[in-house]
Amino acid sequence: MRSNRLFRVILISLPILHFLLHVGFGIGRLAPDLLAVGLLLLAREMRTGTAAGLGFFLGLLEDAFSLLAFGANTLACTLLGIAGSRSRDLFVGETLFFLISYLFFGTWLRAVLHWTVAGDEVRRDAGVSLLVHGPLDAAYAAAVGVGILLVTGAWRSDPSG
Amino acid sequence: MPPFEPDQFESRGRRDFFLASAFLILAGILVVLPPQGQEQVASALRGTVLAPFLLIQESLHQARVRTVDISELQSQLDAATAALAAQQTLRHENTRLRELLDLRERAGPGFRSASVIRPGVRGSESMLLLDVGREDGVRVNDPVVSADGLLGVIREVTASTSVAMDWTHPDFRVSAMTLDGAAFGLVEPRSGAFREEDRLLLNGVPYYTTLEPGTAVVTSGRGSVYPRGILVGVVDALAETEAGWRRGYWLIPAVEPAAVGHVLVMVAPDVEGNERLAELWVDSLPVAPDGPEALEEVDMGPSTRSAPPVDPGAHGAGVEPEGGDAPAEGGVPVEVGDTLSSGEGMDGEGRGDLSPEEEDRGSDVRDPAREAGSSGFEARS
Repeated sequence: MRSNRLFRVILISLPILHFLLHVGFGIGRLAPDLLAVGLLLLAREMRTGTAAGLGFFLGLLEDAFSLLAFGANTLACTLLGIAGSRSRDLFVGETLFFLISYLFFGTWLRAVLHWTVAGDEVRRDAGVSLLVHGPLDAAYAAAVGVGILLVTGAWRSDPSG
Repeated sequence: MPPFEPDQFESRGRRDFFLASAFLILAGILVVLPPQGQEQVASALRGTVLAPFLLIQESLHQARVRTVDISELQSQLDAATAALAAQQTLRHENTRLRELLDLRERAGPGFRSASVIRPGVRGSESMLLLDVGREDGVRVNDPVVSADGLLGVIREVTASTSVAMDWTHPDFRVSAMTLDGAAFGLVEPRSGAFREEDRLLLNGVPYYTTLEPGTAVVTSGRGSVYPRGILVGVVDALAETEAGWRRGYWLIPAVEPAAVGHVLVMVAPDVEGNERLAELWVDSLPVAPDGPEALEEVDMGPSTRSAPPVDPGAHGAGVEPEGGDAPAEGGVPVEVGDTLSSGEGMDGEGRGDLSPEEEDRGSDVRDPAREAGSSGFEARS
């Protein structure tokens, strides 16, 4: 259950907060991947084409700082936007459990896509990147994303869920 | 009977499909775009949509810099003044000798101090944004150094900002040599499983030249990017060998990129003539007093050790330094001012030419600079 207007304001704020934390404050890896969280949540509110466009734009913004694998974020986020939008057809997604799982696996998927698209020179060990860093980063992002939604009241847990 | 028309939902679904496909294709094009095109797109975004975020980080960095302890700054100023005073006599002497020999004044490198802005997003690991640009004289391929040594090189330049890559970038390469000029090689990064495990490898060292752990490795000045004498790192251990041909050594990098907040960009470096740059980073620079013969009397410290003589015909690499312009084994490029300036590394015989007063004055002049710390920029009160 959620308050639609506040929900959308929060969702739009998440990518801005992401760049503020990563670029503005220079926190780097210590800051969660709120770009993926925002994109995943916004994509479920949009049609597939629009979600792909949003993913393209947000990914391109991240790639503006990428010397190593330009375009990898753009492609990964475009695919993530499409997947997020199509997930509506598969899951109703009104429960907190779904929200946590959706954000966790979505953020992990983004890491996998980026690793896949990035060139051989950039890729680090698959085991460490995808099975250690990936899930940890995803869990962190999901926890912070859900926390923001709950604290701001943009998402209220469904008592029946 | 009316003709068949797809319903509204089907039409919108098809439009969505084409739109999503178009964005996917565009994203794919970005991946394979030539580097120049990618840099233009990235630069345009950094200068527009992302500019406010960069401005925030720059402001925060400036604020942080302003909170530096004033006593620390004072001690750095004192040490710099002492070092400058110590070099003043030598500079005058060198100028006079150059005039006598009718040599033109050597153009030293210009340094531009810059604050490092880190994007901290996925894929930006080897990238540094600097707050100096074309207006400050910065150009593509200018070396970026810190108080500890070589950090990286400028990749892109705009009017007031520039983008540099540090030594962890897969494309980073620098021609390097040991401080005594006995071994040359190519330094390249090797990535580890974690970013913290990234290391530098000195590759292509002749097989019969052995480097001891702790040997300082500096830029050789070959190529047109890095001037000679910037500290790259120190030898850690043997990494790989190719029997009879070459050796590779792990280096402990002089600079940890993650720890750097402030750097110097060397603008218009004179690649040919800056071999004395090593003095900025390396504490004890052994210098030959009187040509190669005297080098045998100089204690070079932990450095190179050549294997027994071999038949050059049997092994192409041999023990000879690479290239014809390399100094003799164990030697450092020496100019007139060097022998006058450096007493360190000389034995008793070398000092015998000086009167006791001159010796005393020489040591007085040298000590404050040495006390300035292990690098030319650090200082102690």
